[in-house]
Amino acid sequence: MRTDYRRGDGLEKVTGQARYAADMVLPGMLEGRLILAGRPHAHVRGVDASRAEALPGVFAVVTHRDVPDRRYGSAVKDRHLFAKDVVRFEGDVVAAVAARDADTLAAAIALIDIEYEDLPAVTDAEAALGQDSALVHDEWESYSLGYDGVIRDRNDCAYVDIVKGDVAKGFEEADEVVEERYVCDQSHPVPIEPHAVVAQWSGDRVTIWTTSQVPFNARSGVAETLEMPESNVRIIVPHLGGGFGGKCEFHFEAHVAALARKAGRPVRVVFSRHDEFVAPDKVNHPMTIELKTGISRDGKMTARTARVVMDTGAYASDAPSIAEIATMMAAGPYRIPHLKVEAHAVYTHKTPAGSVRAPSGPQIAWAVEQHTDELGRRVGLDGYEVRKRNLLEAGDEGPTGQTMTAIGALECLDKAREMIASTRQEGEGVGLACGWWFSFPSASSVELKMNLDGSATIITGAQENGSGAVMGLALIAAEELGLDPARVSIVYQDTEAGTWDMGSSGSQTTFNNGRALISAAGELRKRLFDIASAKLEAAADDLEIADGSVRVKGARSRGVPVADLAAAAFGQGELLVSRGSAATIPMPENFGATCAGRVAFPAFADPTFVCQAARVLVDGRTGVVTVKEIAAAHDFGHVLNPQGALGQVEGGIVHSIGMGLTEGTQYSGGRQLNPHLLDYKLQTAADAPAIRVEFVDVDGSSGPRGGKGVGEPPIIVAAAAVANAIADATGVHVRLLPMTAPRVWSALRENVSLGGVEGAASPPGLPASGEGAGQ
Amino acid sequence: MTAVEYFEPADLKQARDLLSRHPSAAIVAGGTDLVVGSRSGKRALPKSLVAIHRVNELRGIEGQHRGGLRIGALTSHADVESSSVVLRDWSALADACALVGSPATRHLGTIGGNVCNASPAMEVGGPLIIFDARVELASRGGKRTVPFHEFVTGPGRTAAKAGELLTAVILPASNRRPPVGSAYLRLEYRQAMEIAVVGAAALVAVDRRGNCKRARIALTAVAPTCIRVRAAEEMIEGKRLGDGVIDEAARAAAALARPIDDVRASADYRREMVAVIVARAINRAVARAQEAVR
Amino acid sequence: MKQALSLSVNGLAYEVVIEPHRNLLSVIRNEVGLTGAKEGCDDSECGACMVLLDGRPANSCSVLAMQAAGRRIQTVEGLASGGKLHPLQTAFIEEGGVQCGFCTPGMLMSAKALLDSNPNPTEAEIRRYISGNLCRCTGYSGIVRAVQKAAASSR
Repeated sequence: MRTDYRRGDGLEKVTGQARYAADMVLPGMLEGRLILAGRPHAHVRGVDASRAEALPGVFAVVTHRDVPDRRYGSAVKDRHLFAKDVVRFEGDVVAAVAARDADTLAAAIALIDIEYEDLPAVTDAEAALGQDSALVHDEWESYSLGYDGVIRDRNDCAYVDIVKGDVAKGFEEADEVVEERYVCDQSHPVPIEPHAVVAQWSGDRVTIWTTSQVPFNARSGVAETLEMPESNVRIIVPHLGGGFGGKCEFHFEAHVAALARKAGRPVRVVFSRHDEFVAPDKVNHPMTIELKTGISRDGKMTARTARVVMDTGAYASDAPSIAEIATMMAAGPYRIPHLKVEAHAVYTHKTPAGSVRAPSGPQIAWAVEQHTDELGRRVGLDGYEVRKRNLLEAGDEGPTGQTMTAIGALECLDKAREMIASTRQEGEGVGLACGWWFSFPSASSVELKMNLDGSATIITGAQENGSGAVMGLALIAAEELGLDPARVSIVYQDTEAGTWDMGSSGSQTTFNNGRALISAAGELRKRLFDIASAKLEAAADDLEIADGSVRVKGARSRGVPVADLAAAAFGQGELLVSRGSAATIPMPENFGATCAGRVAFPAFADPTFVCQAARVLVDGRTGVVTVKEIAAAHDFGHVLNPQGALGQVEGGIVHSIGMGLTEGTQYSGGRQLNPHLLDYKLQTAADAPAIRVEFVDVDGSSGPRGGKGVGEPPIIVAAAAVANAIADATGVHVRLLPMTAPRVWSALRENVSLGGVEGAASPPGLPASGEGAGQ
Repeated sequence: MTAVEYFEPADLKQARDLLSRHPSAAIVAGGTDLVVGSRSGKRALPKSLVAIHRVNELRGIEGQHRGGLRIGALTSHADVESSSVVLRDWSALADACALVGSPATRHLGTIGGNVCNASPAMEVGGPLIIFDARVELASRGGKRTVPFHEFVTGPGRTAAKAGELLTAVILPASNRRPPVGSAYLRLEYRQAMEIAVVGAAALVAVDRRGNCKRARIALTAVAPTCIRVRAAEEMIEGKRLGDGVIDEAARAAAALARPIDDVRASADYRREMVAVIVARAINRAVARAQEAVR
Repeated sequence: MKQALSLSVNGLAYEVVIEPHRNLLSVIRNEVGLTGAKEGCDDSECGACMVLLDGRPANSCSVLAMQAAGRRIQTVEGLASGGKLHPLQTAFIEEGGVQCGFCTPGMLMSAKALLDSNPNPTEAEIRRYISGNLCRCTGYSGIVRAVQKAAASSR
């Protein structure tokens, strides 16, 4: 496909014309703010807003009394819009205020008296699993569920497992067994745009402009919690300033709608960065990962047991499906005949975790890939060789019994290794990491209109988070209909204008909308050929469409412009409009459904594969790690939009390195200690490494033009590759994520005091006093 | 609601007069911990703001009689960083100014602002200590100078009196024989937008035989203010410099650090890193002293 | 108490009346009505609000609006001139320097200041100069390519 394609929304973004939710201004609009609990666990004894309400310029204060008394939640209905009697994490919303300007708003908030009785907070997920632990949700048994199949018990709000073969037997067959434990801190998606919501009522109907990746979920959430028909709720996403999963659920739309309704005026709520860290219930799960794997002398993995305990925070959100994915991540893209893998998602009094970009992937791959290197080392194999002998190939059985078909894992391994070997420098450590992910077949429907001048419009309910997935639909339509992509417009992310779409999550947009669009374009093309065949006196089968015309194959001069065909149809009273749907893709046959807790992922549909390699320098005296390069090889099937895919890979890699080295939330007593960007450290341009990317073409996917999901895989293995590179440079594996300088330094010191790497006099790669990278 | 008065004096005399009439006014120079802190509710807004960015007399770097340097309080970090005389003769200060904030915004932040903000992690603190810097303060009543290490009294606290304005940082002339080199290094976790986890400033005068005739060492971010560590200085003064001697001095410096545990690092890690960073700072200062000869 | 203030933004004078504690970003976005500069954080930590003050980058969230009087303020809306895009704007679109676009206005202003003062920067100089502008989408590679392309096309 063409590589000179320019995304359709680029121009408005570079000129400042693009409007984001916080830029919205409506006549009479008020400023609002949500009042958060500010404490991890407490009874709410009373909310007294009388002084605030009496202040001139304050239009409304809203609490749970102003909304229907009902619970919501995607997997488990375990929360209220506004806290009733109890707050369960520091970002729980207690009230909302609207006033005529920022100063009045600040004054009003200072006048609201909320009385709390602080309670002890549950902050350790492992301890919370114990039968004696205090409950985060006393009434957990009475909660209804969003879908069937969730296995819950007290603070354990989702248990999932994979049982395959007989692990006892598998371990007997092993010559070496490695048992390890890894621990990951919480991390955050951190889109540069914080949440913002603007709500405006017109009679019984509300329009909400919001920073949502899932406008249809937001619509049904508002309808459900405010007890309105969905037809009275319109959700529009103006341009979205990044999501990464942090905006991937029904979040604050109903709060602001309720506030605007009571105020009788439109209301805008814009989050501060502090509130962006604390309140949205989509952070990356902190987790402990215990792995035990057997390997034979000839380098074949024989059995694995794994236990993943995920700290899911105060509310369940979509924890069950993430626990499912976690079991697949813990098995990894490897041929292991015997498996017993279990995952728990556990309530604590912290910010809820949920489906952030490739949920559970980066954390578990970081553990599994270091584990894999160690397994290889035990039987004398390097990172490349141990993977070569165990990565899944076509015809192999996956963790839940699916047969692998269109799979490029080994090619990715070879490619990444080749790339990094060519640039490696003296003194650097090099590491490899492999991973896999899924494509997500979902219902999707797209409408395609041809305008009378031969330009076209796509109407979709899909959401564009910046990845270019929606913008890339113009490219597909253009190819299908012989148009210039600049003559294809898109109507998107408006629940009144497009049909239901799952949203920018699960790497699904191109995979599903693309197929729907190809179907719709095919219908339109057929109609154009029918009209043209009469005009050209040629059979429809002998026609092709390109460069804005339908013409006879092999006789290009015999053609008619598409615009003329559209006008001809109109002249006969016909409008050229078509609709296409993405046909259901059956899940490959698997036994996953028989495993405990399965809700959405009994197997991985059209899995994608990745191998990334890292070159690093480690300052042995300080523990500071500098990543010099990441080489990435991705199997995305066939890449439809190379510029878009490249952007996703480059961005995902840097995000992953941030998770790997400098990010991470620290908690004390249930409160985040670093909810700001000075101490929650994203990678800057000066930190980001050189990045090289190659795509491995693989046939056989059910996706559009053979493509697979692109958005998530890039973030999964970079941190893991860096970890293995650190181990290569120093002889030491760091088992705490993020691998901050103090942690790397401690790990190096512990290893020295323990006598270093087996067989080595002292850890390699530690510079002498006074030297070292970086300073 | 909030009623804030705002004044923008056009020259130093106006500034002094305003400050004498509004002694508790907050002074705003280039950028503003003040604006930011108050927006997120960390600090209450002051009743009056005196913005001094137009007082051009406070901008500029001037050589002084007998070789010292006077840096106006409103001189930007970028200007200090790129001044050839600072780079050559007071290198540690150039090092420090090159690390403040982000490269693009170093034109806004001022050295006076950094000094008055008095953060325990302030970049310029260590260099100003090793250079025996003084600060000049002006008020309607007159002028006075105070040694820098007496001016910063605690985290966010200075010895400035009500109605006083910091007008300059003064680096006294010093003996350049034998040749002097200085350096400031900090430990950071990423390459930009950082705050020192640990910082060390070192000054050495080294003769042709490699003997250290004079040394100054100061630490950042490991005590309530930046601190000089004399015991460490004494371990290299008069000695022939080599790895062993330098490491011993660095460890002595570490023993004098009083770091805390915070979200950036544990006290233990900071203490260990003092030794590493001090050794590196001394080594770099030595290298620069040797370059100064050529 | 509110004070009158005249601000020059992209060559045009705007007379506004504001409380003196207001930061420049909020005045540009509200009273002046230009929403290109964004608010991404509370504390000069992200660069989304970057504008140019007398040709040099400033985090407008951390500048008092009152202090911007008498200075030349430039925002992303003033980059294109005479209906023609600045080479940086074109290059950002062509080289994948724009994804979600939220960091883009601030990033463009930093990049402009860089090229105005250093028309032929190395990759390291580019990365260092824009290190005060955070981006979560692109990994910075597309942005660096765009700045290099704009620099080349202007020579």
